[in-house]
Order: sequence, then structure tokens, then C-alpha cells
Amino acid sequence: MKKMICLTINGKEYELAVAPNMTLADLLREELLLTGTKKGCELGECGSCTVIMDGRAVNSCLVLAVQASGKDITTVEGLETEEGLHPLQKKFIENGAIQCGFCTSGMLLSAKTLLDKNPKPTEHEIRTAISGNLCRCTGYQKIVESIKDVSEGR
Amino acid sequence: MLLPKFEFHEPATVEEACRMISELGGKMKILAGGTDLFVNMKKKLLAPDHLVSVDRIESLAQLDASNGSLRIGSCVKAAVIAESDAVKSAFPALHEGASKLGSPLIRNLATVGGNLVSARPAADFPPPLMVYNAKLVLKSSQGERSVPLTDFIHAPGQTALLPNELLAAVLLERPAAHSGSAYIKLGVRQALEISLVNVAALLTLDPSNGVVTGARVVMGSVGPTPLLSVSAEKALLGEKPSDALFSAAGEAAASDSKPIDDFRASAEYKRAMVRELTRRALASAFDRVQKQ
Amino acid sequence: MTEYDVINGRAPRLDAPAKATGRAVYVDDIKLPGMLYGALLQSPLAHAKILNIDISKARKLPGVKFVATAEHAGMVPYGVSPARYDENIFARDRVRYVGDEVAAVAAVDLETALEAVSLIDVDYEELPAVFTVEAAMAEGAPQLHDKYPRNICAEVHQEFGNVEEAFSQCDLIRTDTFINKRQDGAFLEPNGVVADFDKHGYLTLYSSTQVPHYVMRILSMVLRIPVGKVRVVKPYVGGGFGPKAGANTMELAASLLSIKTGKPVKMNYTREQVFLFSRARHQFKHTLTTGVKKDGTLMALANECYLEGGAYASFGIATVYYAGSLLAAPYRLPNMKYDGYRIYTNRPACGAQRGHGGVAARAALEQQLDFIAEELGMDPVEFRLKNSMEAGDITCNEFNTSSFGMKECIEAVRDGSGWNEKKGNMPEGRGIGMACGFFVSGAGYPIYRSDTAHSTVVIKLSEDGGTAHVLTGSAEIGQGSDTTMAMIAAEALGVPLDCIRVSSGDTDYSVDLGAYSSRQTLMTGHATKRAAEDLKRQVLEVLSERLKTPVDQMDIKKGYIVFKGETPDFSGLRTIYAKEHRGFMDNPDRDEPLTFKEAARIAYLARGSMVGTGSYKPEELGGKFKGAAVGTSPAYGPSAQVVEVTVDKGTGKVTIDRMTDAHDCGFAINRTSVEGQMQGSLSMGLGEAMFEEVKFDEKGRILNANLSEYKIATALDMPNVDTIIVESNEPNGPFGAKEVGEGAIMPTIPAILNAVYDAVGVKIQELPLTPERVFMAIQKKEKGGK
Repeated sequence: MKKMICLTINGKEYELAVAPNMTLADLLREELLLTGTKKGCELGECGSCTVIMDGRAVNSCLVLAVQASGKDITTVEGLETEEGLHPLQKKFIENGAIQCGFCTSGMLLSAKTLLDKNPKPTEHEIRTAISGNLCRCTGYQKIVESIKDVSEGR
Repeated sequence: MLLPKFEFHEPATVEEACRMISELGGKMKILAGGTDLFVNMKKKLLAPDHLVSVDRIESLAQLDASNGSLRIGSCVKAAVIAESDAVKSAFPALHEGASKLGSPLIRNLATVGGNLVSARPAADFPPPLMVYNAKLVLKSSQGERSVPLTDFIHAPGQTALLPNELLAAVLLERPAAHSGSAYIKLGVRQALEISLVNVAALLTLDPSNGVVTGARVVMGSVGPTPLLSVSAEKALLGEKPSDALFSAAGEAAASDSKPIDDFRASAEYKRAMVRELTRRALASAFDRVQKQ
Repeated sequence: MTEYDVINGRAPRLDAPAKATGRAVYVDDIKLPGMLYGALLQSPLAHAKILNIDISKARKLPGVKFVATAEHAGMVPYGVSPARYDENIFARDRVRYVGDEVAAVAAVDLETALEAVSLIDVDYEELPAVFTVEAAMAEGAPQLHDKYPRNICAEVHQEFGNVEEAFSQCDLIRTDTFINKRQDGAFLEPNGVVADFDKHGYLTLYSSTQVPHYVMRILSMVLRIPVGKVRVVKPYVGGGFGPKAGANTMELAASLLSIKTGKPVKMNYTREQVFLFSRARHQFKHTLTTGVKKDGTLMALANECYLEGGAYASFGIATVYYAGSLLAAPYRLPNMKYDGYRIYTNRPACGAQRGHGGVAARAALEQQLDFIAEELGMDPVEFRLKNSMEAGDITCNEFNTSSFGMKECIEAVRDGSGWNEKKGNMPEGRGIGMACGFFVSGAGYPIYRSDTAHSTVVIKLSEDGGTAHVLTGSAEIGQGSDTTMAMIAAEALGVPLDCIRVSSGDTDYSVDLGAYSSRQTLMTGHATKRAAEDLKRQVLEVLSERLKTPVDQMDIKKGYIVFKGETPDFSGLRTIYAKEHRGFMDNPDRDEPLTFKEAARIAYLARGSMVGTGSYKPEELGGKFKGAAVGTSPAYGPSAQVVEVTVDKGTGKVTIDRMTDAHDCGFAINRTSVEGQMQGSLSMGLGEAMFEEVKFDEKGRILNANLSEYKIATALDMPNVDTIIVESNEPNGPFGAKEVGEGAIMPTIPAILNAVYDAVGVKIQELPLTPERVFMAIQKKEKGGK
């Protein structure tokens, strides 16, 4: 039996009927066509599905849509504002921190929660913050540099 | 990958949760963080008809560190424990265990209660909580009882939790004065790891002569459950701390360990690591006593 | 030093904004109206006869639209190389590994498709299985393929020069054995498809693939649809690294289901299915016997290699050649003997993965060379410098090195890492090691025998606005090829980068062999450059007529027409343009030089659609001996690396502290992309050296078919890399460019091994360097072993 949920996604309120066994990742991708959130393993082991939920970065493949009711969700699509791209997005683009792009959404959102809590992280803190986001393409370096650049106001 | 179908229940209070748990019985699983449960359900290892989610019950999500002791609601996230300054200063081994669990993303979902009840041999919370003599508050519609954590985990996936019970809280008394503690997790990578071997240690010293008056060594991943090393404790009590003593304690702990060969590592290596990590955890604990 | 306007800089990638905002479309993001969902039935047994397949219950399940088995698919064999077409879409008589596909279902949703799969009853008769090279080659072992006795999928025997005679003149000869482990591609995006067979009988397949062209041909061949009626479209791909460089069952099965149902069919691999599919790095067992003179001159190498290949050939026939041929460089080696065997086993098939057959061979040799240098009392860097090839040298197996910055790479990492100060002076438990590498810039021959161009590119000039659209079948899989082609097109045409648009990865656009063997920068780059030059010439021809100026007196640069002699009066052209653009706000100023925008418009008015085409095919390469083709390439790239490690002796855990990498890419079209490929290659090499291993149980089932137990490097495992780009200006490359995508991984494993040896004096000749392996080796050494 479907359940009604109300949640905020990227600043917009939604009221939806969802099956209990639908994950938040599938809600975003299949129902709302917010396909920026990716599925790399569906077991919480790669971080591609990362979203921000009530200020914390989580694997949306391990959250039920019904658990997200009442919560404030930010996906990669919500980083951009009317003013333009988020500084993290700008730096990722500028520095070449994006290759295949599949880990990018998760990286940006993990980075955002880090900088929101800790605006001047050390390199170790940056690497720890993204340690749940696997990347097979970049070797992480330009991603770490980009996050550092934003934290230093570059 | 799909989750199997189930009915979803979200009790608002502990009382309501206990009632549901009693009514639904064996066809039900409690859902806290979901990081273990959903993985098993997606892999088709579990297919409960009902999920009772306790994740929103506020009383279960409180971390109370007033007056020195600690009451951790079963639904407190690993991340919250890892971020707590009170935990870090008074219970450093718990801080370390919480900080090393999985990944930052997993820590934002996983709960201490889930980690204890899922009773995995490599779990990160049991060893540190056991060195602090944690007690668990188990509630049911019939009332509540307290069980020492050392008596709680019986076998992989099996605990003292009765079918109609809910783990409500973890209680820790502040360690005795002149105590130090540490938790070390050995994995292959630096993150996203399930422990190859882990060891938690606590030392209490007599300030007048520096002799060990209290010692606890708990190891994980080297037996079906986390193991409290009685031999290590015996080896340490009454002695003066030294690297030789800590090595001897490591030998003793290794003799209590019951590792098996598996695809992650051989028993021989795991035993050697119990020796080494025990020595290091004790050295670190000792170091912390001295820094007080 | 030529000054370039666009290339050799750090232009941000064209696809980065879409990827940064979640707008980039990958295959699982695609939904088509009426789309069905597919699921596969795969064998739970490693080796079994199929006695019967009963699909009746599955077919009856409400929501199921088609259940396909070999009966519907037919048995046209396919694979990667026509020399080894040993696969079928579905098994009919026999399954050969846990995961071998038996059937597929299309249904209204995934849940129904999966349930239907569970309702298919297959009667298996289990057969004995073989999981190791030794078991598979043994007398009386079960044979996987009737055509290949002793389960030898392919065997290679080559000798260049005279190894035995050379050995007799050597002062030192060493034999060492080295084993790596099966790897997995572990790209973040699992393979997926959407197949759409439309009402006109045209099949469109959207697939996360590296090679749309090859997939198209396989679809056409196996499903018996003419090539012109099959279109493969590659959306954005979340990494490939080799396993996505061949057609997979899912592509064929989904297409078949779409044909049978008349509806689009979506199918994805779960992460577990990615592991079951594999087509990733083989396990190689190399036994190398190498002989040198006492002054360090390398004389001869005998290389025997056994590859554990899995149940099908996949790329393996090329792999077994590469495992020998790629050791012929980067050092002068006049005598080389290679005996290679690729063996079938009842496990997932192995294929090509970054660096292909060269990675394990390189690790084995570079480790051994360090041992040899030590025995001779020579510094490892000096040893390499002494033996390094130079541009113009030809290997014993007839590879031509038209550009070769090997010495420059070695010197760069030596100096960049502080090798001379550090070697021999590392603190307790820390070590420094170095190694070199070598790879091709594109395979010299296509996978199927053909005279086809390897790359064709079409560039269509917009009829107005001065922009150009590059249409290429090449595959942007994350490595940055779209941006590379855009930059080359912009440079060759003479316009700013933002005037170029790239559409790629669609077989409708052009023939391109795809992203494998590190070919696209060189080959697609050439075709792109030629297409752009063709377009430039056409535009200049029109101007030439109008302005009465010879074509060779004109050029296009930075979006303007430049005149080598006196600037003719082009006011007439400007007037025409202005008349057509009344109301436009960006018309050229009165005294502005003649713009490309105007010239392009004039050219269109004169000739209609302006299209430039370019194509590239390497010249005949390589020797005339058997297998000579494999390893041939228009260009070769060397690289060198220095790695510093800390070994925790108490646990055996190795930490990589620092990596210095120098790669000769000929000429960096995009410096940021080159660095990114170097850093990414190193992280994959580090993972293979330290953590990665696909593990099996005694029934041939993968134990760690997930990203928790199959461990790739996390951000906390990978250090920063000092990247040094060496540019040797490859004459056979567009603007001097050659590869970086795969070559950079080559030195990584041996540099780490050599650093660990430097740190703790233990020789470890088996991967991965797990803490246990290192700890046990240290223990053994301390107890008196070697």
C-alpha cells in the first residue's frame, strides 16, 4: 500500500504517494526525473547516490522514500541558483576535477556539507569527507584541489 | 536492485514501537539506520513482511553526556557520536570506533543500536563500548531491563534481545580516574572498511605508584563475537606499564582470540595482529592516562 | 616552438558543466515511451550441461512480454576478435562459468522481469570444472571449447634475435616469477542499455560502451540486421577502462527483446553482474629470464607467460600477444623470446583493461631489473638511463619509435622526486622505488580484418554564425576526447574553442573504432584535424575567388582571416553580411578585420552546406611474423615514475606517501586532461598493487562481487601526484600528440614494489600487497628466509 510523503527537494515542496520499498534514490531518479543522483552499486559502497538530507550527506540508495518524508533534500540539481553555479561546481569545472562525471554529484554534495560545517578544512579533512565517494577516473587530486580552492576563496 | 515488498510502520513513541513489535512478532524487523538491514534485504538474505521504523522517535535519538556518564539513545547516528566533544574527551575509544565506521556517508545513517543488534563480528561499536562496561537498556511492553554489553552478543546476528524487545539506550559510566583508552581498527584501505582485526583497550593506573589497577582488552573480527580477553587483563593487573608488558598482554590476548581463515585474511595473520594492535592500543591508552 | 591558440592549454572540458549540474545523460537516465524492463537469467554453476529450459511459467506471469533463450536468439557465434568468436548470446547446450547467460525476460517493470527470471526452470547436469591454469591444462581436464584442446585458447611463440646465444655472453642472468591477480574494471557506472527496434525495422541501441562501431557490427552480425539499419548511440559513460570495449550479452539480449516485443527495452547490470561479466584484467603468471652484461647492458629476455583467461576469449587473443610484445621497449633489447598461453577456465572471461597485457609484464620486468641493478651495484635510475631507447630506435620486434622521451621522463622523475638525495637515505621503514613503462598509441590494425579507416570525422559548418559542428563516432568515456577533438578542430580551423560543438559516440555520425588501445587522441585527432583543414580550405577557396587572393596567401586564426600579403578590400563581403544581419547586435565593426563568421556565411551562400571530412588510417606497420600486428602502433609513449612508501612493519600495511610521474604524451592537447589521465592511471595502478583482487570460492563463485570487498583506492588511500608532462613531439601524431590514457599506469605497480623492497628488503612477487602478504614476507625474512 502506498504511503503519502511530503518533503522538500531543492527548495521545492513535494507531496507524493510512494511504495514503502522505494528508495530515495529511485524516487528522485524515476519519479521526479532528477537523474543527477546516480546508482553505482545500490549498497552504500560507492557514494554515487549521495544526496544531502537535513544537512547531512547520505547514500540515498539506503534511505527509503518514506523515511525522507518531512526532510529537506538537496541533490546536485539544487546546487545551482539563480545567481549561477555553486563555487564548488565552478571549481570542479575549472580544475578538471570531472572526467566521467559519475562520482561528481556525490563528490559535490559531500564537499558542500564539509564546507558548510568546516569552512577551512585541512587536506586530510577534505579527503576524509569524500572518503565514502569512490572515483575510478581522477585519482581524487583535482577534486581535493577544487574543494581546497573554494575553502580558500579562490 | 530492488527491495522486497513490506509494510512500513512508523511508531511515534517507544511505547507504540514496543506494542507493534509484540504484535508483529517474527515477521517484523526493526529499522533504524538501515545501512545493514537494506543491504541484506537487497541481497535477498532477509525479506521481512513488516518494517517498524524507530528512526524518528526523538527519545531514542538523544545523546546525553551530562554529569560525566553517557546515555546514548539506540538511534543516535555514528556521526553524532563521532562529532561529540564530550565523547571524544571522556570516551576516546568510542570516539575512534564511531569515527572509523564505514564512511562519512554511512556514519550519517548508521546507528549505534543497529551496529550492536546486527552483531557482526567485525562491528566497530562493541569493542570500545565493552571496554567501558556499557550496559544496554532493553524495553518492551512489559517493562525494561538492563543487560551488560559483554553478555549481549551471543553469535553472529544473535543477541540477548528478545523478539518483543527494542534496544532503547546504551549507558556508560565515566571511566575511573587515571584511565586511558583507545580503539584501533586494522583494514586494508583507509576508509569504507570492515575490520580485519580491531582492538579496544582501557587502562586504569594507581596514581601513587603507576601500577595497573584496571584493564580491559576487547577484540573484534577474531571470533564469532567480540571477545573480552581475560588473559590480557590478568597479565596487566598489578604490573607497571611498559612496552614489554603491553607486548605480553598482546600475547595473552592473542591466546584468547579465535580467528578463522577466511577470504579476508588468514587466522595466523589475524592472531599476529591481535598481538600487535593490543600492544598499540595499550600504549595509546597509557599515553592518554599520562596526558590527563 | 610553435605558438598555438587553443591547444596545449587548459581549456575546461566541454562536458564538465553538464556533469557538474546533473544534466549529463547516462544510459540509465534514458526513458522511452512504452519502455519495458529486461532481466537476465545467469548460470549458478561453473560448468554444466543444459538438459532442458522450461520458460512456460515465466511466460505466464502477468506483465511479461517476452522470454528469450537460445531458441529465439540463434547461435551465431561472436566475441571480440573474429579469430575467436566463441560466445553466443545465450547458452544452449552448456554453461561455462557462474554468470553465463541462459535467458532474458522483458516485462512491464523490473520487479516483474526479475520474478519471471526466477520462474525459469533450467535442468543442469553439473560437469567438473577447472579454475586454474594448471587444472585446465592437465591431462584429462574437462574441455570448455571443443575446438581448443587442453583449454589453450591461444598460444604464442616468438623469438627475435637469438636468446640462448645472447645468454651465453651475459655476465648475469636472473630468473624471476611474478603473479598479479584478476582485477575488475570497477568503473562507477555499471553497464546498461536501452534497445529500441522501431517500426521501420531500425534498431537503435543506447549503451554505456567504449566502442559503438564494434558493438554495431556485432549486433548486425548476430541479430542478422544490415549494418545500415543498426545504430549504436553512446550517451555519457561513467568510465570504461577496457571491459566496455566489446559487445556484451546485455546489448544483444536487450536488442533481441526489443525486436520481439516491438518496444524499447531497458537493461542494467547490477554491480554484482558487472563482476560476473568481468572482461577485465587477466591473471598473468610471468617467468622472466633476463641476461645482462656486468656493465648493465641489457642483452636478452626470455618471457614465459600463462594467462588465466576465463570461459571465453574476449580480447584475450590480443592480450596474450601484448604480454610479450610490450616488453621489447623502452630499453634496447636485441634478443627476446616469448612463449605465451592463454588458458580457458570456468570463470568469467577476462579481457582488456587499462594497459592491457602490458601491465603485469611491465611489473615483472621492472621489478626484476631492480634486482639485477642491485646485484650489479648499479643505481636503478642509472641502469634505466643506460639502456633507454631513443627516438628512431626500432625494437627487436619491429616497433618504430618515431618519438621517444624515455630519458627525459626518467630524468624528470629522478630530479622531481629528489631521488639522488633520497635513495639510500630513507628513514627506517620508508623506501623509494622507480620504474618505467611503455605503451602504444592505438592498435595498428582494427579488431576485424579490414581496410577501413580507423577514424573518420565530419565537420559541418553552420550556415551562419561561424560555428562548426564536429560529428564523430569516437567515444567520450570520461577521458576527455570530445574536448580534445574540439580543441584540435578549433586550432586547425583557426577559430576560438567556443565556436566548436562536438557530437560523438553515435555510429550515424562517422566510423570510429572507439576508445581502446589509447587510440583516439592520435587517430581521431588526425581525422579531426584533416576534416578541419578541409573545411578551412573550402572556406578559403570561396574567399580566394571573391577577393582575388591565392589561397596560400590567406589563413584563419583566432576567428579572423589573416592575409600574408596586403589585405585586399573585403568591404563588399562585409556589406553582404551586414545586409543579411540587420538587427543583429554582434555584427563586425567597420574596421574589424574580416571575421571567420563573415567568411563562413559567404562560403555558404556560394556553395551551400559546407562540410569538411577527414579520415585516418595508419600505414602498414610492423613485421611480417605471426602476431606482428599486435603491439604495432603509429606511435609509442614511454613513462617513468618514482614512488615513496612507508611500511608499517608491525602490521604490514603500506602507505604510499608520494608519487612523481613523468609521461611522454608527445604534445599535450589539453594539459589538464593529460594530468587527469596520469593521476587516474596511477590510482588504478595503486589499487591493483595494493588492494584489488577478484576472489573465488571452490565452486567458481565470486566471493567479493561488490565494492566493499573488492577494494579500489579511496581518497584517503591515494596521495597527490607530482605530474610532469614530457613532450617529445610525435611526427605521426596530430600536432605531435600521442597517448596518455593507458601508458601512465605501466610503471606504477613496479615502482611501488621496488619502493617496498627498498623499505624493508623483502621481495614480494605476487600481488596485491595486502598487509598480510607484506607482514608474512617480513616475518619470513626476519626468521632467516629470503
